[in-house]
Amino acid sequence: MLRRPSRAWAASGVLLTVVATAAAGCGGGTSSPPGRVVDVTERDFRISVSETHLRAGTVVFRAHNVGPDAHELIVVRTDGGRLRLRADGMTVDEEGLRRSIVGTLEAANAGAVRELSVRLRPGRYALFCNMSGHYMGGMEATVVVA
Amino acid sequence: MIAVRASGFTPFAPRTRATVVAIVVTFALASAASAALSIWSTSKSRNRASIVEVAARQRTLAERYVEQLLLVRGGGAADPARTGELLRQSAAVLLDGGVAPAVEGDDDETAVPGERDPVIRAQLVEQQRLVGDLIRSGAAFVAGRPLTSVHLEGRERITTPNDVLRLRILAALTSNVAFDVARHIAARTDANVTSSIVLQLALGGAGIVVSILLAWALVATTRRQTAHFRSLVTSSTDLVLVLAGGRCLYTSASVEKLTGRARPDLVGRAIFEVVHEDDRAALRAAEDGGSTRLVFRMRNASGGWRSLEAHVTDLRHDRHVRGVVVNARDVTERVQLEGELTRQAQRDSFASQLVEALEMADEEAAAHDVVTRAMAEISTESPMELLLSDSSRAHLEQAAVNPAAGGPGCPVESPFSCVAVRRGSAVVFESSDALNACPKLRDRPGGACSAVCVPISFMGRSLGVLHTTGPNGAPPDAEQVGRLTTLAAQAGARIGTVRAFERTQLQAQTDALTGLINRRTLEGELRRLQRHSTPFALALADLDRFKQLNDTHGHEEGDRSLRVFSHVVRQVLRSDDLVARWGGEEFLLALPHSDAGEAVDVMNRIRAALAETVRAGHVQFTVSFGVTDSTRATTIQELIQLADVGLYLSKTHGRDRVTVADPLQAADARRNRNGNGGLGLVAAALHPPEDEAEEALS
Repeated sequence: MLRRPSRAWAASGVLLTVVATAAAGCGGGTSSPPGRVVDVTERDFRISVSETHLRAGTVVFRAHNVGPDAHELIVVRTDGGRLRLRADGMTVDEEGLRRSIVGTLEAANAGAVRELSVRLRPGRYALFCNMSGHYMGGMEATVVVA
Repeated sequence: MIAVRASGFTPFAPRTRATVVAIVVTFALASAASAALSIWSTSKSRNRASIVEVAARQRTLAERYVEQLLLVRGGGAADPARTGELLRQSAAVLLDGGVAPAVEGDDDETAVPGERDPVIRAQLVEQQRLVGDLIRSGAAFVAGRPLTSVHLEGRERITTPNDVLRLRILAALTSNVAFDVARHIAARTDANVTSSIVLQLALGGAGIVVSILLAWALVATTRRQTAHFRSLVTSSTDLVLVLAGGRCLYTSASVEKLTGRARPDLVGRAIFEVVHEDDRAALRAAEDGGSTRLVFRMRNASGGWRSLEAHVTDLRHDRHVRGVVVNARDVTERVQLEGELTRQAQRDSFASQLVEALEMADEEAAAHDVVTRAMAEISTESPMELLLSDSSRAHLEQAAVNPAAGGPGCPVESPFSCVAVRRGSAVVFESSDALNACPKLRDRPGGACSAVCVPISFMGRSLGVLHTTGPNGAPPDAEQVGRLTTLAAQAGARIGTVRAFERTQLQAQTDALTGLINRRTLEGELRRLQRHSTPFALALADLDRFKQLNDTHGHEEGDRSLRVFSHVVRQVLRSDDLVARWGGEEFLLALPHSDAGEAVDVMNRIRAALAETVRAGHVQFTVSFGVTDSTRATTIQELIQLADVGLYLSKTHGRDRVTVADPLQAADARRNRNGNGGLGLVAAALHPPEDEAEEALS
């Protein structure tokens, strides 16, 4: 007499399939933010980007502050010229650029590594630190999105 | 260190002291460490604060430097070089240590230890470079040289050609770095303070935990010791009381057990309710430091009294007790035994004295007297009497009464109507009103009473009863009953003995056949008469031909004849006359205050009465008499011999007659007897045949 597979076996088979599918679907999302990871290194008083030409879509800037000062990171869509400054003549007018800013990481001490996920459209984007004198001291980088 | 397991029963081990010391030491160490840490971190914070000040000051100095540069450039008076120098020196001192210079009008010189943290050091290095760039740019600015020509050592990349802007950017960067340095140093101070707080909390917590453990150990040890002591005290049958100020502070469980009262009903003044009222004063006195040893009585659960021997320890000055500790044990049995022994000794003493006194009583009256005195010794309050039966043992008569309290006057008449006599043992009546009381106790003149009746007997024969009464419902106690019993037994023994002795005495003095006194007794009486110089007549009587009578009619008839003669003699004689059977068929009669002539008359009356008496009987016999009196001789011996001569003459002259012999005749008779070896030969001289002479004398 042939032995039929039991209902329990069938049920666990279905369950396994579901779990496996779910795991595959969520895999990328849980391990890191979706999108391309671009390493951004901040130091006194320079910002360097691992890739300056990016494809449009979600981009994750992984900001490494190597110090020694604390730095912030602001990503702003730009038309290529210099960013408009505030009345002090030294810091970028963030309020005026509010529409263009796509992402901000507040100031963090040396040694911090943070990620900033942004959705980039084709165009130019400036990455800068707007702490007093830092932008004018050279902390600016540009990426081009195609 | 914390919980040392007890390795045995050691309730007195001073473990608690070590534990207390450990707790104190732990607290002291924790507090000292905490205080030291606090002082250290506070001084460090203060130091840090001044460093933060110096670090923060750099911002101001950098901005002031630029202002002063612009002022000088505009023709104003300022000393940017001085500010620049302050900036440079401060930056160097912050990095490597030293004394930060004072800023005039702002602060004083500050000692700075130099930075060791690599992150802050990196920032300070950055600051130093920026300060250098700023000062060089400033110098170029003051000198009017283009700033773009100034080499910048910092990693800044300033692209603007505007000199003022370049200066401002450099100042801003310097300021920014200075701010960051100050923030870092402040944050680290915060962290230090925080960690110090955490450390202090940890220390405090650890101290508390250790102390709690030690305290727990202390409590456990104390509890164990307390339990040990409690078990010692609880399992002990000794009674423990703590008294203070007339109150009881503590009682052990054994006191509850003894008294059957719960502890709340014992502490305070209530304790004295269960102490015998006669002993309360002694116990109170002991509490005031009186005696250290006392015996007191306590009422037990069933209402009886227990004697407690107490040892008193004065712990009023011991602040743990503040009272007097009474440690007592039950000695009731011992006290009872001692009391019993004392009473026994008293009884024994009473009994032995009584026995001695009674031994000295050689007559019954003397014994009665002893009993009388013994009664007064037993009780001076209880009426008491000794009722004795007479010789017929049919009547009870009062023989002795308590001289101190009189006799109760029991109306009992015969020994056998006395219940105590019938029972043969002492009877105690609680009350004459009781149903089972002796009816003879009722309706006494003194009203209802209690009574004790102790029978008196000797050799199993009842002699009477010893009777005493007491208040109604309170009969004489066991002690008195014991003494009464002793008295009854000893008095019975003595009175019985005396009576038996008197009877024996009487028997010894009396001739069994005739009931007359015997020869010795009469001789004693004669001597007594002679002593008192009482004149008296003496007659010797002899039944005629008695031998013949015996041979003819038998000895029984002979005996009867003797009894008949005795009876007749007693009938005729006066009451104080004496008659004794002298031996065989001879009788001696003594008539005090009579002379021979009177005696002859009396003897003749006897002869006549005898003749009258025997006439009715079938055996006829006569009697011959020899009479004399005390005037005729000096000794009794001589008198009897005279009477004997008279009798001899009566016989020889035909019998059944009375002859008075005078001394002359007696002398003849003596002479004849001496010559012929006896009285018989005198007769032989008068009557030739010897056998006939014998016959004549019988």
